[in-house]
This record gives sequence, C-alpha cells and structure tokens, in this order.
Amino acid sequence: MIKRIWHYRDLLIIFAWREFIIRYRQSVIGIIWAIIQPLSMMLLFTFVFSIILQVDLSPIPYPLFFYAGALPWTFFSSSLYYAIPSLTNHYSLITKIYFPREILPLSYVVVALVDFLIASLCLVILIIFYRISITWNSIWFIPLMAILVIFTFSVTMFLSALNVYYRDVRAATGFLVQLWFFVSPVMYSIDKIDIKLKLVLFLNPLTFIIENMRRCILEGREVVWWQFILVTAIVLLLFLLSYRFFEYVEKSFADVI
Amino acid sequence: MLSDSQVVLAFKEVWKKYSLHDVTYRSLREDIVRLFKGNGKKLKKGEFWALKNVTFKLFKGECLGLYGPNGAGKSTILKLIASVTYPTIGSVEVNGKVAPLIEVGAGFHPDLTGKENIFVNGTIIGLRIKEIKSRLEDIIAFSELGPFIDTPVKKYSSGMYLKLGMAIVLHSNADILLIDEILSVGDKDFQKKCVKALQGVTKEGKAVILVSHDMNLLRELTNRIIYIEKGEIVGEEY
Repeated sequence: MIKRIWHYRDLLIIFAWREFIIRYRQSVIGIIWAIIQPLSMMLLFTFVFSIILQVDLSPIPYPLFFYAGALPWTFFSSSLYYAIPSLTNHYSLITKIYFPREILPLSYVVVALVDFLIASLCLVILIIFYRISITWNSIWFIPLMAILVIFTFSVTMFLSALNVYYRDVRAATGFLVQLWFFVSPVMYSIDKIDIKLKLVLFLNPLTFIIENMRRCILEGREVVWWQFILVTAIVLLLFLLSYRFFEYVEKSFADVI
Repeated sequence: MLSDSQVVLAFKEVWKKYSLHDVTYRSLREDIVRLFKGNGKKLKKGEFWALKNVTFKLFKGECLGLYGPNGAGKSTILKLIASVTYPTIGSVEVNGKVAPLIEVGAGFHPDLTGKENIFVNGTIIGLRIKEIKSRLEDIIAFSELGPFIDTPVKKYSSGMYLKLGMAIVLHSNADILLIDEILSVGDKDFQKKCVKALQGVTKEGKAVILVSHDMNLLRELTNRIIYIEKGEIVGEEY
C-alpha cells in the first residue's frame, strides 16, 4: 500500500495543496482559521470551568490544559468532517479515472495535520507565557502524534468507503464526532477517575493519545512503555483491517457511488 | 497485419452488468448469497447488461472511433479501459498508461486558476509535478488562454474550459488517450488544431479512442470505427 501511495505521491501533494488553497482563498483571515477552532474551544472551556462551574480539574493553568487537549482533538474531528464525504464529493473523478482512492481521504488528513502544526505555534506561545519547564519527555509527543495520524487515517478510510454505499454515514458524522468528544479527555483528565471507568475509556484510542500528549508536554511525565506498545499494536491492527476493507470495496466504487 | 506485441488494449468477451437501483435497494441476504456463489450470467430483477460479449483490440498508433446512440455502452467501455470499473465476466488487458479526458470541467476546481488546475488535472492523469513544470509553457500556449491563465476557472466560458482540458491531455505521456464527446464544443480553428495534434500523437505510437456522435469527424480522424448498439458490437468500418 505504501508503495501504491508513494507511486502517486505527487497526486497526494497536489490534492492536499489544492484543498489548502481552496479552504483559505477568498477568506479574509486565511490560515488564522486553523488556530481559531482550538483557541475558541479553549476560551470557552476556560470560561465555563473557571468562572461558571469552578471545578478543580488539574493543577495546570486551564488555558494550557484545554488548549493541549483541543489541539489533537481538532485534528481528529476536522479530518473526519472533511475526509468522510471526500469520496462521494469527488464523484466525477471516481467514475472517470483511476488513482488509489485512499489518496482522497488521506489528503484531508494531511491538510488537518498542516492546520495542526500551525495551531501548535499557539501552544508554544502559551507554554512560554506560563513558564512551563519542558523536559525530555516532551519528545513522546512525536510518536503519539504518529499513532494519532494512523488512527485517524484508518477511521476516515473505513467511514469514507462506507459512505460511498450508505449516505447514512455522512448524516451520522456530526453526531458521531460529538459523542466521541465526550469520551475523549479533552475537557477533563482521566487522572482522578475510578480505575474501572478508566479501563472503559481506554477502549477509545484517543483517550490514551490525548491524555499522554498533555502529560508529556505540560507535566513532563513519561509514557508507560507497555501501554504505548499495546495501543500502537491495536492502532496498527485497526489500520490493517480498515485498509483491507477499503481495498475490497474500492473496486465497485464507480458502480455504486 | 499488426502483431500481438503491438496490442495496447484487448477486450476479451467482456460482459458488464449494472443495477438500475441504489445499493439500499438490494437486500443484504442476496448480497451474502452472491458472495458465495459469485456473479453469474443470470440477471436479477432491476439489472441489465451494459455490455454484452464485447471483444476487440487496439494497436499502437491507432485511432479508434466508437460510434453509437446514447446508452449504447460507449462510456462503459471507456470506464473499463480507465480501470474505474471492472468487467462482470471476461477480461480487459491494458498495456500502458491511460489518460482520459474528463468531461469538460469535471476535473477542475472553480476556485483555482487555470494554471493551478493544470497542476491538479495533470497529476490526476498521471504526470509528475516536475513533468508539468517543464511542459507548462507548451500547455498554456496550446490552450490559447494567454492572460486568463491566472484567472479562477469559474470565470471561464465552456469553450475555455475545453481548451484547457484538451491542452493538458494532449501533453500527457499516456499510451492511450480517451476522448469522450468533446471536440464538438470548441470553435472551428481550435478543432482543427486538436485534430492535428491528435494525428501527431498517433504518429508517436500512442493510441487514441474517440467517442463521438459526429460521423464526419470520426471518418476524418480515425483508422477504424466500431459501431455499438445496446451493449453489443454491431459493426466495424475501416
């Protein structure tokens, strides 16, 4: 598969580049939009949890705590929103010309990754502002991001292919993303949660990824090795299954779309 | 007589079945049964044959015309060649790269400029970014768009769309070009230019398949015309 995508790498680059241009052309503030989504989420949560509810969630300053969670979450949710209808939106290409179809959902994940990198600058500014001391454990952020990308790509591959057959998927996307948000530790931390509930939440790979991203950067905590290996193995397995599924149904895309 | 080594495309007893309905019309039970039994020659309710036992070959440097009424199966043949869909029975063998001329404007994004669309469309039909860069001047010159090349294509007329699309396809490095019902949109001069360019392309050893309702155009351009009706080849003319 990597060979197949590598062969069509120019197409992937062009698709991602095109999407990036289209998204921000004829818009006044352009790429600042990439920052606005996680930023407004952070502001809202900070307001709600420090002024309205006054809950003690974490020793970390709230703006940092929420932004660090909103960042990977925005990457995941915006990938899903754009990538799931990507195959059906390119109806005219899919019925006319051959190229590896997974490039379409993948290109939206790539664009979301670029947005993520831009929005990360804001996290760096917050870290400097709050004088958080960075440790070597921050490097964990990179492998965590890698499995987040693979996981996101697997989910979008599976759902975008299913959407070619059943448009119910697209209709359910908003709802699905909303539910998924509440079972991901964006506006809470699983630190103080009861162990039984923790195990249930860990069924969602995002729980492990988002929680640890925040811990390794803001608290300088280490990621538990065996947990990391286990989650990586699960994510890779999901990826393999989702790719097999995609490969199997892809041949009839043009006939059923 | 042409030898088999010069065959770039071979259809062998190709049958293609289509359903008249959406997937949601099918029952899951039937799908599962089909999974085990495989696709037979039998038609179920709501299905029809888009192609019936189609066999032909295409040789290097040949320009083949497909002629037939709407719904005869011409576009299905192009889709099979482009590997967009697969035959129900029989086989399609392609030796080389295929570049279809996507319907006027279909591959273009309205918000992108002409030049940007050259890159998008060019990579879609299999060119490398590097190759497009080196051919960019030629493509723009051929398209006759001049100063409009940096304008978003949503402001183009349909003639300009066509010229740009045609210019990209003619500069591709594919071995088989598929051109569907398209030359009729441009003005007379541009048509002549395309005809000339197509003749040049076949001289280079590439093969062209042209679909059209215009019999005069086909006779002028092609070496061979295949007549299709209701999914079957009903005649051939040299």
